[in-house]
Amino acid sequence: MEGSIVLLCLVFWPMAGALLSYLIGRKNKTIRDLFADFVVILECLIMVILLVQKFREPDPLVFSWDEFCMMGIHLELDGFRLLYGFIAAFMWTMTTVFSREYFRHHRNRNRYYLFTLLTFGATMGVFLSADLFTTFIFFEIMSLTSYEWVAQEENISALRAAGTYMGVAIIGGLVMLMGLFLLYDATGTLTLSQMGDAISNAVKAGSLTVSRQYLIGGLLVFGFGAKAGMFPLHIWLPAAHPVAPAPASALLSGILTKSGIFGILAVTCNLFRYQPYWGYVIVILGTLTMFLGALLALFSVDLKRVLACSSMSQIGFILIGTGMISLLGEEAALAARGTLLHMVNHSLIKLVLFMIAGVVFMNTHKLNLNEIRGFGRKKPLLCATFLMGALGIGGIPLWNGYVSKTLLHESILEYAGLFQVSSADSLIGTYTFWKCIEWIFLISGGMTVAYMMKLFVALFVEKNTDPALQRKYDRNTSYWNPESKIAILVSAVLLPVMGFFPNLVMDPLANLGVGFMNSQVPAEKVVYFSASNLEGAFSSILMGLLIYFIFVRKILMIKDKDDPKALPIYVDRWPVWMNLENVVYRPVLLMILPGFFGILCRFLDSFLDLWIVLLRKTLYRQTGKKGKIFNANFKAKMAVTGLAEKMYAGSLSFGLFLVSIGILVVLVVLFLYG
Amino acid sequence: MKESIMIIPVFLPIFFGGGLLAFRGIENHDYYKRLTELIVILNSLIIWAILTNHIGKEGIELFSLTSWLNIYFRLDGMGMVFLGLISFLWPFATLYAFEYMEHDKNQRSFFGFYTMTYGVTAAIAMAGNIVTLYIFYELMTLVTFPLVLHYKDRESRNAAIYYLIYSIGGATCAFLGMIFMVMRAGNGIFQYGGFLDAARTENINLLLLVYVLCFFGFGVKAALFPLHRWLPKASVAPTPVTALLHAVAVVKAGAFSILRLTYYCYGADILRGSWAQKVAAAFVMVTIIHGSSMAVKEIHFKRRLAYSTVSNLSYILLGAIMMCPAGLLAALSHLVFHAFTKITAFFCAGAVMHKTDRHYIYELDGLGCRMPVTFTCFTIASLSLMGVPLFAGFISKWNIAQAALAYGGRIGTAGIGVLLLSALLTAIYMLTIVVRAFFPGRDFDYESIKDCEDPSWKMKLPIIVFSIVILVFGICSGPLLSFLELIAKGGI
Repeated sequence: MEGSIVLLCLVFWPMAGALLSYLIGRKNKTIRDLFADFVVILECLIMVILLVQKFREPDPLVFSWDEFCMMGIHLELDGFRLLYGFIAAFMWTMTTVFSREYFRHHRNRNRYYLFTLLTFGATMGVFLSADLFTTFIFFEIMSLTSYEWVAQEENISALRAAGTYMGVAIIGGLVMLMGLFLLYDATGTLTLSQMGDAISNAVKAGSLTVSRQYLIGGLLVFGFGAKAGMFPLHIWLPAAHPVAPAPASALLSGILTKSGIFGILAVTCNLFRYQPYWGYVIVILGTLTMFLGALLALFSVDLKRVLACSSMSQIGFILIGTGMISLLGEEAALAARGTLLHMVNHSLIKLVLFMIAGVVFMNTHKLNLNEIRGFGRKKPLLCATFLMGALGIGGIPLWNGYVSKTLLHESILEYAGLFQVSSADSLIGTYTFWKCIEWIFLISGGMTVAYMMKLFVALFVEKNTDPALQRKYDRNTSYWNPESKIAILVSAVLLPVMGFFPNLVMDPLANLGVGFMNSQVPAEKVVYFSASNLEGAFSSILMGLLIYFIFVRKILMIKDKDDPKALPIYVDRWPVWMNLENVVYRPVLLMILPGFFGILCRFLDSFLDLWIVLLRKTLYRQTGKKGKIFNANFKAKMAVTGLAEKMYAGSLSFGLFLVSIGILVVLVVLFLYG
Repeated sequence: MKESIMIIPVFLPIFFGGGLLAFRGIENHDYYKRLTELIVILNSLIIWAILTNHIGKEGIELFSLTSWLNIYFRLDGMGMVFLGLISFLWPFATLYAFEYMEHDKNQRSFFGFYTMTYGVTAAIAMAGNIVTLYIFYELMTLVTFPLVLHYKDRESRNAAIYYLIYSIGGATCAFLGMIFMVMRAGNGIFQYGGFLDAARTENINLLLLVYVLCFFGFGVKAALFPLHRWLPKASVAPTPVTALLHAVAVVKAGAFSILRLTYYCYGADILRGSWAQKVAAAFVMVTIIHGSSMAVKEIHFKRRLAYSTVSNLSYILLGAIMMCPAGLLAALSHLVFHAFTKITAFFCAGAVMHKTDRHYIYELDGLGCRMPVTFTCFTIASLSLMGVPLFAGFISKWNIAQAALAYGGRIGTAGIGVLLLSALLTAIYMLTIVVRAFFPGRDFDYESIKDCEDPSWKMKLPIIVFSIVILVFGICSGPLLSFLELIAKGGI
């Protein structure tokens, strides 16, 4: 054990706190809640102190414990890890504070706290890890402990979603492990900072071919992408978020998906430094994830499902940024900053939005847009906080999402621009291709605006179709207690603050990620509110408005034909059969493969017995219809009692007899050739 | 005469067990159980004294039938590992058996044979040459046969016959191999790198044929496909038997014998790259997948674990057939870690069966809430079996994969693929139990299980201790692994 022990404490303090809080919770629930708050707040404070120190002393803290779990754990606290560790601690603090009210009437709370804090420790481990082995250890723990979140409610859909979640997590973990095996075999190291050199040495020495390198990268990205919700492994995400308790959804969406992104970034920036083809693949996957997520979100009529699909879409944005880092190589400063900032923004925004969804659910116990419609009317504070999140994620200028989306947009334009200045040999794709990507990017941004608007209008503007329910909603003024209120307000205030002063707040944050992503600080300050940048944002917003008014209001909402005065209601027009999980994964994994292997196994299991039966019927057992060993009379007599067959076939001597024949055969072989 | 102490751990349990069987009148007294525990603990203490004082390096010849047919004990590194393992497990398992068997009529014969097996297993661990190994290997079949037959109902009779036929059939193959080796190389004393002189052989294929024969012969006890059928059937035996004998002592003796055969009789050099290795590898890999798949299919709690044992024993062999020191290291580490993991899992299953009389997976809903200790430990065992980091199973699987990668080629790559696929299947068949127990669903009727509770300390102590061992090895396995590495390189 050497290095700064603080890092180890950051990881194991929440885990120890988890066990302690479980024991306390068996005696007293109030003290348990306070203790859990204490655990996370303390952790958050330590992170703040470390963050402040970081600006004074830029050298990263390191910690290593070589004996731990064979390969040892290695932790590091450079800028990026510090930032994300802090965000994790911040999010856990807010959600834990919020949990007290949310879970007031739930059972199994003790279990929830135990697993939440365990996951906290594991997540800190993932974000602080300096080598992929450490990442893997904590990643696996995190996957398994977060299972409880999804299953917490224990109803049928929760258990089903939890099953999917666990399945994806385990398959992802194993595939990642395979990648790690191959990587370790090829390079002899898993430490991220040495990876770049080790890879180039291995390529030079010939122990690592390019195809092998891409195979390793693919396996690792499969593993990490499964957690990040990358297409086509996103299936758990829209299912798991709505059924999990709101604080857990906020964490699942805000932080756990980011741990997957952390892995993908680590792989991209270390294994595939300046490899454009890699970036190309990631960009395509990112675009698919981004567009599909936005589309799913647009169709959904469940509040938390919209937010979940939105998470998937935003992960797509981040993946595009990650791919652009590889594509742009040394000029990737903007892409790298955009990626990091969008990660941060998305975490914070989803924290707010999911907590508000939690407030809605806490009061109404419903999530369907038609049922919760109008809940937010006459609740200005709730409306304001939701608006902060919606504007943030919609990429509206002056809010934080705008900054990061602008950077990502810039980086696509930068790459497309290269086609006009240099010869196209070293570039991938065509100018048209990149223009298409840009358009999909803008359209997805527009869809983001549209689905957030759909939520906002449904919750805060329209009245419920049931006037009695609306009156009940309007009268409900004590919809959150002070603790929850503070947690949501604090989280919500951050978003415009970051957006109003991008150069003051966002740039220093972005600078923290420079070391981890092997990028540079851009030479000149980015002017976020320049005309060209605003143009992109406004075209996106315009598209969003169009999509909302034409598509959402006309097609996704229907009016009762008989009653022209009735309000239109939201309908889910997404075709039921278009569900990757139900159409492909579940049938293949649960029916086709087990069916096939089941039959095969049943055959194989009695393989030897089959032979024995066959031999008995043919060679050794002349007791067919004619019967040679026993005479007919004797046999008939014995057959009545059924004794003969049992006596003969079941006797030990018969078995031994078979064996001795085998021995004889082998002995003959030995004598002949020995 | 320091070396002659080695004989005590072999014959003390055998004579004591024999004594128990001989005295009929003691059923009504409880003291003989305490005496049994005392003898078992005493035996373990003697074994630890032997291990810590490094006795047994010289070897001792008990008697010889002919000039080359002699009973010879010697304790080398690999024997020390196996001996240390069983000496740790046996006292706990006996303690567990007290509660498990408390309502049984035939306890005297059970404890008699159970204790005798201890001596026989110790003898296998300490066997210094192939003849001794073979004799005690055969003896083990005979001693454990009555334990499988214990309940004397139709099912256990059937299982016992299976057990006997398979084991004796296998031992016959092993016998041929033994004769062959002894004829060729004299006394057949184990030595690292093999005692068969390959250079002297004009017909290498015959040598390899005998290897394959022996491999399958010993493979019967290691539940190698297609000779694995007896193991799931034998799970009708009382749980202490399935847990200790059919997850550790007997089956590991099979794997142990194969390791002896491969690394100490033939030597890895002869076999590396030969067709014999390929044949062995093919069957080992089929066994891994087959065992795991059958475990997924199986709905009987103990049989599912038994199929899991089938698959995990072949993990050991998968390490072994990589024919390199790293492979031996991996095999030995899985031999140790799987022992702890599987005995914990079986003991938990036994606890459930004993307290609630539930035998099938679908009956386990919600039990985690009523039997928290049992199912927490079962979860630990499950995670270890899956190979989740921080648990012992991960270490050995990592080692096996490293060995496979180091070996490379088609066998290595296929080996890793098989390992990961099997890990996925393991996750399915173990976690479905855990999830059922802890997350029965919202509508579950908790009234139906209100009588279920954790067993008494006699059962809980072994389970908890083994779980802790799993965690400790998972987090800090350095010292043990460096010891195993020394063995694998021929140091001890």
